[in-house]
Amino acid sequence: MAEKKSLRKEFTKGLIRENPVMRLVLGTCPTLAVTTSIVNALGMGISAMIVLICSNIVISALRKIIPSKVRIPAYIVIIASFVTIVQMIVKAFVPALDQSLGVFLPLIVVNCIILGRAEAFAGKNGVIASAVDGLGMGIGFTIALCCMGAVREIIGAGTILSGAESLLSIAGITGFDGITLIGENSAISPMTIFILAPGGFFTFGILMACANRIAESKGKPKAELGCAACPMAKNCALLAKGEACEEKKEGTEV
Amino acid sequence: MKKFKEYAAPTVVLLIICVVAALLLAVTNDVTAPKIAQVNAENEANARREVFVVAADFGEETITADGIKLVPALDANGETIGYVVITVEKGYGGDISVMTGVDLEGKVTGVKPLEMNETPGLGANATKDSFLQQFVGKVAGIGVTKDAPEENEIKALTGATITSKAITDAVNAAIEAMGGENVG
Amino acid sequence: MMYLSILLTAILTANFVLSKFLGICPFLGVSKKLNTAVGMSAAVIFVMALSTAVCYPINNILIKNDLEYLQTIVCILVIAALVQLVEIILKKFMPPLYNALGIYLPLITTNCAVLGVVLLNFTEGYTYLQSLVNSVGAGLGFMLAMVLFSGVRSRLESCDIPKFLQGLPIVLIAASIVSLSFMGFTGLVEGLLGV
Repeated sequence: MAEKKSLRKEFTKGLIRENPVMRLVLGTCPTLAVTTSIVNALGMGISAMIVLICSNIVISALRKIIPSKVRIPAYIVIIASFVTIVQMIVKAFVPALDQSLGVFLPLIVVNCIILGRAEAFAGKNGVIASAVDGLGMGIGFTIALCCMGAVREIIGAGTILSGAESLLSIAGITGFDGITLIGENSAISPMTIFILAPGGFFTFGILMACANRIAESKGKPKAELGCAACPMAKNCALLAKGEACEEKKEGTEV
Repeated sequence: MKKFKEYAAPTVVLLIICVVAALLLAVTNDVTAPKIAQVNAENEANARREVFVVAADFGEETITADGIKLVPALDANGETIGYVVITVEKGYGGDISVMTGVDLEGKVTGVKPLEMNETPGLGANATKDSFLQQFVGKVAGIGVTKDAPEENEIKALTGATITSKAITDAVNAAIEAMGGENVG
Repeated sequence: MMYLSILLTAILTANFVLSKFLGICPFLGVSKKLNTAVGMSAAVIFVMALSTAVCYPINNILIKNDLEYLQTIVCILVIAALVQLVEIILKKFMPPLYNALGIYLPLITTNCAVLGVVLLNFTEGYTYLQSLVNSVGAGLGFMLAMVLFSGVRSRLESCDIPKFLQGLPIVLIAASIVSLSFMGFTGLVEGLLGV
């Protein structure tokens, strides 16, 4: 019973309490880059989740065999193979998604969420716990991306779920390709800036502020770009010199 | 002996992981490669029908010296009534490959960007019909303008002049390539 | 002319950080002080150029043998090994340079900007020299963004910021405005060089 409960905890922590994007501030690059529409965000989230679950399982299964010296390269090889497999599957079955994610699909390899979870969790915990952790973190990542995508798509393009057909057609559903809120000939036009680069930073900043507001009402510290979550923290000489991550220190001083 | 173990163990483990990973990828590639090729071929076939609606069938493709792909469009009797041409131009976010349908009089029958990586919201609007329909019926030497388009001109996309120009260049190159084909 | 336009595009119009969203982690994490920002960017320029120089021929070998699907895995491994190697060499033979750049090197292995530039060079179909120019340009663009942004952040320090915007949110909003100003460069390269 106790074990069941802790498994549930591993699962739910990734959703909100330790949401990888909004709370741990991991994987910011794809969060900003591919959230121009909900469908892109969803595709990216699911691809990363599959890689995360698979790599977590394999790494935790091999954790006693992999010598700690070659830990990082071994993790990278495992992660990179799963990323390539996912990439090939996406190319074969959802070519439209492959087009819109572009270089960010292979770049899942260097997404800090995945290497970060390998270092922080899968390298120390059992197979089942790691799989559940990967699932929770993956869903948390997807939710955060979809929030970003929804804000940017509705304001920036005036549509909801545009391009959904490419994802739905795998499940055999056709005919639904999103809802257009602001048509081409309507009196107002969408604020395109929201799906451009500045809009990405802006939306992320505002959502982060909201997350901090909620965190504070629950008595939790606000999210910071801390070194604790960085997979390279152990090798980082900046940390030892106290030159990076000053924010965290200053935060505690205040 | 201890030293040997210290160096050999990590090397062997890493090597095994790499070999297994490579094998796994090779297997996946074998499974997905034909599927990817099939998807690409299907997409191209669909695009062909879109840019040359009146064609009943398409012939064998030829590739010119400049690397331009030409596919003859055939009517129900198997007579060539035009060509579908694929040209590549440099856009804002890398290469854009454009498929253009051109009839024997050198008039554009339809345009469709096949592969492009333009900015969503700006350049990516070039896939919209309202932009692409402008090309239909135009002849060689199409111009791009930001104001009201005149004879044989198209109106550029707002905030995406580079993309609009790249696609227009690709269409012009397509008409030219077909002209060359007719003369030769 | 061609090389100049690639260089300017990579630095200004298609800035890696501000318009392609690559390398955001170091951009937000190490841009607080000017000297760390410069050190980090110098290391990034170096690693980007070196990785491109080594990965480009390797990728050609892969393509020749129909092994394109190994691209990602091979590139990331080569970059990781290369960074380690450079770190060891610098530590041993050039201690002053190591002290200046070495501390940033381990952080760069898993930086998406480095793998990003290597992979983008392949998809753009650049030649060897063009790839190198593009990589150096991307690195310089990264440096420009970092240096400018460290200035913005030092101004932010003394501002009275609403409570919930303090910390990361205001930094992101500031980044949004810097990115907006970089959008002004769109068309600049085309206008200057007439390409």
